[in-house]
Amino acid sequence: MSTPAASAAPSASGAPADAPRAPSPAPSALALVGALARRALRDARTRTLAFTYLFAIYAYIQPVGFRHAYPTLAGRLAFVHSFAGNDAIRLFYGYPYNAVSIGGYSAWRVGGTLAIAAAVFGVLGGVRALRTEEDAGRAELVLAGALTRRTAFVSAMGAVGAGVVLLWLAESLGFLLAGLPAGEAAYLSLATATATATFAAVGALVSQLAPSKRIALELGTATVGVALLVRAVADTSSGAGWLRWLSPLGWAEELRPFAGARPLVLALPLIATGLLLALAARIAARRDIGTGLLPARDDADPRLRLLSSPSAQALRSERASLLVWAGSLGVFALVLGLVSASISSAGISKGIREEFAKLGTGSIATPTGYLSFVFIFFVLAVSLFACAQVGAARQEEADERLETLLALPASRVGWLGGRLLLAGAGAVALSLTAGVLTWAGAAAEDVHISLARMLEAGANCLPAALLFLGLAALAYALVPRASSGVAYGLVTVAFLWQLVGALLGAPKLLLEVTPFAHVGAVPTQPFRGPAAAVMVAIGLLAAGAALAAFRRRDLLGA
Amino acid sequence: MSAIRTEGLSKRYGRTLALDKLDLEVREGEVYGYLGPNGAGKTTTIRLLLGLHRPSAGRAQLFGVDAWRDPVAAHRRVAYVAGEPFLWPALTSAETFAFLARLHGGTDVAYRDVLVERFQLDTRKKVRALSKGNRQKVQLVAALATRAELLLLDEPTSGLDPLMEMAFRECVGEAKERGQTILLSSHILSEVEAVCDRVGILRQGRLVDEGTLEQLRHLGAQTVEVTFAGPAPTLPQLAGVRAESAGPNALRFEVLADIGPLITALAQAGGDSIKTLTSREPSLEEIFLHHYDGSDGRVDAGG
Repeated sequence: MSTPAASAAPSASGAPADAPRAPSPAPSALALVGALARRALRDARTRTLAFTYLFAIYAYIQPVGFRHAYPTLAGRLAFVHSFAGNDAIRLFYGYPYNAVSIGGYSAWRVGGTLAIAAAVFGVLGGVRALRTEEDAGRAELVLAGALTRRTAFVSAMGAVGAGVVLLWLAESLGFLLAGLPAGEAAYLSLATATATATFAAVGALVSQLAPSKRIALELGTATVGVALLVRAVADTSSGAGWLRWLSPLGWAEELRPFAGARPLVLALPLIATGLLLALAARIAARRDIGTGLLPARDDADPRLRLLSSPSAQALRSERASLLVWAGSLGVFALVLGLVSASISSAGISKGIREEFAKLGTGSIATPTGYLSFVFIFFVLAVSLFACAQVGAARQEEADERLETLLALPASRVGWLGGRLLLAGAGAVALSLTAGVLTWAGAAAEDVHISLARMLEAGANCLPAALLFLGLAALAYALVPRASSGVAYGLVTVAFLWQLVGALLGAPKLLLEVTPFAHVGAVPTQPFRGPAAAVMVAIGLLAAGAALAAFRRRDLLGA
Repeated sequence: MSAIRTEGLSKRYGRTLALDKLDLEVREGEVYGYLGPNGAGKTTTIRLLLGLHRPSAGRAQLFGVDAWRDPVAAHRRVAYVAGEPFLWPALTSAETFAFLARLHGGTDVAYRDVLVERFQLDTRKKVRALSKGNRQKVQLVAALATRAELLLLDEPTSGLDPLMEMAFRECVGEAKERGQTILLSSHILSEVEAVCDRVGILRQGRLVDEGTLEQLRHLGAQTVEVTFAGPAPTLPQLAGVRAESAGPNALRFEVLADIGPLITALAQAGGDSIKTLTSREPSLEEIFLHHYDGSDGRVDAGG
């Protein structure tokens, strides 16, 4: 054993070398914050990079695609006219203040749609930086060091703030490359950056309230859902425009880039972020580490239902998340059904309908046409659900509970097969829920459409979802640690391509690469049987390959 | 038939050779202590025995069943306690027991109640609210209650307090009486010394020593301590004996050869002034440390 090197020089008092060392000089608060924030940034790098690319590409595509699809002012005016009178479109894309100019169109698409992704990123960032660290016990390790809780909190949120700035820069760069002026590009990107910041603060607050990461994420995403719903009502119902001021997602619209900018509105997200963070920091400074303000029930009488097999237990543990998915999809389905009644073909010429087709939306001039158009979003949602289910299976392995399970007489194929069946059954339940509730909403407003047709529209979500389920399973079997990124990435890229590929004028062959291009616009168009059969077949093959590959590999911890 | 049998079992993770041609045999009814420092390959061995990881070469059999090819059949006769208690946080202990018992089959519920009592578990508590030690107890109780023919225990007492450790030893004794086979991976040497029939020492993925405690002791040095009435005399150099001072009036000898020459030398140098003479066999700890250079778990060059 070598003695400590000369760096530990004897102190002036002449204490012997083996005496306990005097307290080391405290590193400056700034150095501490820097070190902790860098660590947190590194932990979040995959997610941050993925969103950075998404934002830059999305920002670049909007002006370029619009310029390409509507080169003339006349075409743009016709486009605006049709959309301005269309409540149902605004439900998804937000309120278009000025969609005649390239900048105004981009602002509309970004403030409306990208802001939702920005909000989700914010919640994820806040909860992961605070609650996940606490659940994993790492927060305790950090706080056992010579630093205050305030320093730890500031560091974590500083890292999230750096992520927000990165997203802002990426989006601005995308607009800049697409030819928007620098100042406007930067201002426009603030619409999403401020939404991210506000929801990161929401994430920080729910991290203090919830007793676990899972509940914190549920509370956070529920907040995004409510904000979205409030904005949707404000954008679509006449006389309810004031509601927009109640939703952080509405603020992003009220910034009105390229349409009489109102920079003063920036005060709202800034104040909200500040207040939420201050509240979160205050709670964080007072409560016991590892607990939340909401109580957690830690003992209970045994409930022995759904413990008979690994699959039954998987259903038991996924029950809550299934209900959340079904609930939120159901609410949106109902609202969409209700809103579809406002669609009419009056005043929409054939030419404009063709313009819609360029957006990859098909004919949306009738309630059924509109429902066909919006169901592509349910296809997306159910596909994402499939990814989430495979992610939950991976989590069992990453947390090494799977090792406990597979040391018992339980087979690997049985376990993964059960999880995939559960995911498939969940997808069926979600799809049918969407179909039934859309029908109920539409029927309540006297739209003429049969339940059978809407059930068919629901079932039409399944082939693509099963395809993505199979691919996600294969990714899980082959590259377990990267599987979530691969699965969500595939779905997102495929969907974005469906939305913008036509806009960019890509050749047909390339357009048809994405599975979403092969989903029939039910109920307007018939169910596309052969395409569906091919998708399901590929999904099943991939799932089969996944089972075979999973049988052959080592179990892999986090 | 052997409960455990491995032939040339090897496992490579990337560039690291975690297990190198392991030939291990544990007979039915035997309690086998599997020793090694952190990273020696103990957990890797158990994962291969359970078919959780795939051997790079060689094979592992439990009761003649290949662990990789037919894990389900092999697992019917096995219960496993992992080094870390990875359980379902939202289930209570009682629910965990019910779930694991359902999957394993053949759980002795009456014995489980005895174990719950012995390990002082509150079965109404959710796993997420349990300390690490208590979660470890849940795992242990579930595994022991199956009365499986083979218990694979990977550092089962990590996180247990001394009282619970005693309870664990009692359970191992009972299992042994019933004829259950146990592979106990550990680095708590007193525990292995107390309960194991045979011991294997693993170093860098290789089995470097194996045998009953008696057999291993023959390989280690015997320690002789002598105290004198006055200052200790100077002894001549003896082959196979290392001498060192053990205080002002005392000497300690590590004797690797026969003890006769040392006794003769002591008698000649001052037999009258000897006050006490103690001799003891090497502890497992000394045998174990003999295989390592002791400083940082790295291997000494000689082996």
